[in-house]
Amino acid sequence: MFPWNYGFHWGAVSIVFLGAFYCVLTVISTTLILALRRTYRSAAQGRADRIRWRSEFQELAARDRLCRHMLSGEFPYRECRNAFDCRRCEAHARILEKRRPAAVAETEEEVFGMAFPLDRLYHRGHTSVLPQPDGTALVELDELGRRLIGVPDQIALPQPGTRLRANGTGWRIRKREADIRVLAPVDGEVVDVSPARGGCLLVRPAEAAFDHLLTKSEVRPWLLREMERLQLALTAQGAPTLADGGVPVDDILASYPSADWDAVCSRMFLQP
Amino acid sequence: MLMFGLYSAGLCLVKGLNQTNMDNRFAFGLWIFLDLTVIALGAGAFFTGFLLYILKVKELGAVINSAVVIGLVCYSGAVAALLVDVGQPLRFWFTFWYPNVHSMLTEVTFCITCYLTVLLIEYVPIVLRNRRLRQVPSFLIFEFELHKLVYVLAGVGTFLSFFHQGSLGGLFGVLRGHPFAFREGLAVWPSTFFLFVLSAAAAGPSFILLTTWLVSKISNRQLVRPEVLPLLGRISGMLMIAYVLAKTVDTLIWINHTSPGAGVPAWQYYSWKPFGTWILFAEIVAFGLIPALVLLTPRLRLRSNWLVSAAALTCIGIALNRFVMTLQTLALPTLSFDPFLSYFPSWQETGTFLGVVGFGVLVYSFSFRYLNLFPQERDLEQPEAAPVREPALAGRY
Amino acid sequence: MSARSYGMSIDIDKCTGCGACMVACAVENNVPPAPEGVNERKGITWIRVFRLDNGAEGVDRKWAFLPMLCQQCGENTPCVSVCPQQAVQLDPATGIVGQMPERCLGCRYCMAACPYHARYFNWWDPSWPAGMEKTLNPAVAPRMRGVVEKCNFCHGRWHAAKARAAAQGRRDLDPADYVPACVEACPTSAIRFGDLNDLENAPERGSFRLLEKLGTGPKIYYQTQRDWVREIAAAPGGTERAHG
Repeated sequence: MFPWNYGFHWGAVSIVFLGAFYCVLTVISTTLILALRRTYRSAAQGRADRIRWRSEFQELAARDRLCRHMLSGEFPYRECRNAFDCRRCEAHARILEKRRPAAVAETEEEVFGMAFPLDRLYHRGHTSVLPQPDGTALVELDELGRRLIGVPDQIALPQPGTRLRANGTGWRIRKREADIRVLAPVDGEVVDVSPARGGCLLVRPAEAAFDHLLTKSEVRPWLLREMERLQLALTAQGAPTLADGGVPVDDILASYPSADWDAVCSRMFLQP
Repeated sequence: MLMFGLYSAGLCLVKGLNQTNMDNRFAFGLWIFLDLTVIALGAGAFFTGFLLYILKVKELGAVINSAVVIGLVCYSGAVAALLVDVGQPLRFWFTFWYPNVHSMLTEVTFCITCYLTVLLIEYVPIVLRNRRLRQVPSFLIFEFELHKLVYVLAGVGTFLSFFHQGSLGGLFGVLRGHPFAFREGLAVWPSTFFLFVLSAAAAGPSFILLTTWLVSKISNRQLVRPEVLPLLGRISGMLMIAYVLAKTVDTLIWINHTSPGAGVPAWQYYSWKPFGTWILFAEIVAFGLIPALVLLTPRLRLRSNWLVSAAALTCIGIALNRFVMTLQTLALPTLSFDPFLSYFPSWQETGTFLGVVGFGVLVYSFSFRYLNLFPQERDLEQPEAAPVREPALAGRY
Repeated sequence: MSARSYGMSIDIDKCTGCGACMVACAVENNVPPAPEGVNERKGITWIRVFRLDNGAEGVDRKWAFLPMLCQQCGENTPCVSVCPQQAVQLDPATGIVGQMPERCLGCRYCMAACPYHARYFNWWDPSWPAGMEKTLNPAVAPRMRGVVEKCNFCHGRWHAAKARAAAQGRRDLDPADYVPACVEACPTSAIRFGDLNDLENAPERGSFRLLEKLGTGPKIYYQTQRDWVREIAAAPGGTERAHG
C-alpha cells in the first residue's frame, strides 16, 4: 500500500490503482471535513434556527406549502419557494406594490365561531402580532392555536433578551403527547414574557413593517384553508369530524382523546 | 432468523470452514454466489443516487432514502458474509497492506470498502433527520451541510460502484483456467466486467421497485406517487435490453472464438446435466429479454402485476447470471479426468445466509419505523387537494 | 547463480499407481492426516495419482495412472495474478510458484483460478494423533487452518541443498542434493526432476503437457507410448471415463 512495504512495485498499474484509491479517500475525507467545518461555523453563527426551518419546510407536504397569494386568489396554484419568508419573495413585493389599500369594513373576522381581530397581523404558524404604541409588538397564539392547545401542560418561554428570528423558535408548548415549537413571526428581541393564554411574548421587532405577515383580507381565506387542513389531519387520525361548519370547542384536544395530538399539532403548527 | 444465522456463522468461524460443503473443487459456494447477487441488487443505491443528484431525475427523490438503506444493508451483509467465508478473516487487512494490483479481487476489496464508507456517510443524514435527533442543533446543521455536498458523495459512489460491479465480473472473466468463464475484452478488463456493470445497473432499479412495492403492501400505506414505480421499471427495462444485447453479442463471440481458442468447443459445457443449454436461454431470454420487453411497454408498465413480475424476473435473471458465473464455472470440469461435481450448501452455510437476510430486514424495518424513508408519503396520505376555494356555505355560521 | 527453471518429466507408462509419491509427499511436507468427516474432495494431496481407463469392456479394458501435482506454470501463472495479497509468487530464480501461508487470507480465489485443481485448502485445523507428531519433518512448517497450500517442489530441500553447497564453498547447488520427496520415493523412477534449462533435462520428443492451449506454460511434461492415454490426457474439458 505504501512504497516502503515489502513487495511494492513502482509499476504503471500500481500507480494508477493506488493513485485512484488515495484520490477517493481524499475526496471522501475532504467532504466530511468540509461538512464538519461548515457545521461548526454555522453553529457558531447561530444559524441553527434558520437551517432548521428551511429543512423542515422542505418536509412539509405540498399542500401545506401553498403560497399565501394563491389562498387569496392571486395565483391559481403556487407553492411557496421561500419557506414562508415573504420578505425575500419578488412575487410578494410585486403584489404589494399593486395592491390597493382595501377599505376595511370589519374590525374582526369570525371564522367558525372564532374571533380573529384584524388589528393584528397573522403568521401561518398560528401566532398573531399586535403592534404596540411604544414600538414593541405583542406576540401570542391566535384563536385557533389556543383552541388546539387548550390549557398547556408545560410552556417553555425564552428569556428576555433572546434574539428571535422569523420562522425560528418562539417558544415551546407541551400538551399531552404533543411537543410543539411555536414559530416566531418576526425578527426581534424578547422584552418580556408571560405564560398566559398559551404563551405570550413582548418583542422589540427588528423591522418596522410586517409585510410578510397576513393581514386583513388575506386572513379569511387562509383560515378557511386551515380549517380544511385541520379536518384532514383529524380524519387521518381516524377521528370523526363533521364538515358542516360547527364551532370548534375550547379544547379541541379533549374531544378527541384517541387522536395522536402530536401529529395533528405538528401539522397545524408547520412542523413535520 | 438472525440468531440462527449468528449461530451458524459462529460455528464456521470457530470450528473452521469444514462446516460448509465447499471443497477443493468448489472453492466458492453459496456465499460467494449470494455476495455477488446482493451486491448486484444493491446497485440501486448508487444508480439512483447518480440519476437523482447527477442527472437530476427529480422523481427519484421519492426512493433515494430507501435505496441508500437497501444498499447499506446489501453491502454490509455481503462484507459480513465474506468475513465468514475467508479462512483467516483477521488477515483481511493484508489485501490493503500488500495489494496485488493485477488481481481483480484486490480491486473489489478496495472499492467495496470505500463504497461501504460512502454508504454509511450517506446514511448519516437519513438518521439525523429523525425528529428526536433533529432537536440537537449540531446534528441538524451537520445534516444540512452534508446534504449540500451529497452530489460529491453520489459521484464518488458512482465511480466506485462502476469499478467494483465490473471487477466482480472481472473476477471470473480473467480465469484462463476456466474457459467457460474466460472472456477477452478491453485492455485488462474482460467483457464480463462491462456486462456486470450493465446488469447491476439494470437490476438496481428493479430491486428498488420490488422492495418499495413490498414495503407498501406490508405496511398498507402508499409510499410513493404512482408514477415513480413505472419510471423505475422503464429505467430498468432500458438498461436490461442493452444488457441482453451486449450479452448476446458476447456469448456469440465466446461460442465462436474465445472458447474454441482455449481448446474447448462450447457445446461441451452444456453436455453436463443438469446444466443444459436451457440455462443459457433461461438467463438471456426468459429472465432477460422477456422482462425487459415487458418493462419497456408503457401499457404493461402501468399495470402493477406486470410491472412487479417483470421486475422480479429481472432480479432473478441477474441472480441466475451470477450463479452461472460462479457455481456452474466451478462445477464444469477442466481437466479431462475431472468429473463433473455437484455441490449443495450445508445447513451452516444456509444459516449464515439467512442470518444476513435477517440482519437486512431488521435494519430496514428499523429505518422504516424511525426514519423518513419515503418523503412523498406525506403528500399521499389523503388525496391531493384541489386548489382552495371558498367552501359552500351550508352551516350555521 | 543462473536462473533455473525446475520442472518434471513423468512417464505415465512407468507409473504403477502405487501411491508411494503421495505418501512421501505427505510425510515430507507435514500434511496433516485426514480428520473425521473428510471426503476425497476435502483432503490435502499435493500430489495425487489419477487412474484413467480406455473405456473398453472386459479383457480389453486397460488402465493408466497419471500423477498430478502443481504444474508450476511459467507463463500467465493463473494463481499468481489473482491473489489479492501477493501471497503467491513465481520465483524467477527457480521457476517454482511459491505460496506464503502466513500471508494467505484463505479467499480461495487461486483455487478457483487453477485449471489443474492442484491447490488445496485447510478446511480443518491440522492435528496429528498422539505419537504421530514424532514423524513431523522439522524442516517444513505446517500450515494453519484456513489457508491454501500446494506442491512447491519440496522447497525445504532446495534450501537444504543450497545450504550444503554454501557450506562447501560452492555457488551452485549440486543437482543430486535437491530431489523432491515424490521423485525420491517413486520405485519405478517414473518421475524425473531437474532444471529444464539443462540440456539433459530437456523434455523428450513426443511429451505433452496438460491443457497447453490455455497458455499457462506448465512445467510438468508427460510421456506415454499409448495413444489412448495421450488422447484422454490431452483432451480438455472432462470425460466420464476417468477417476481420481
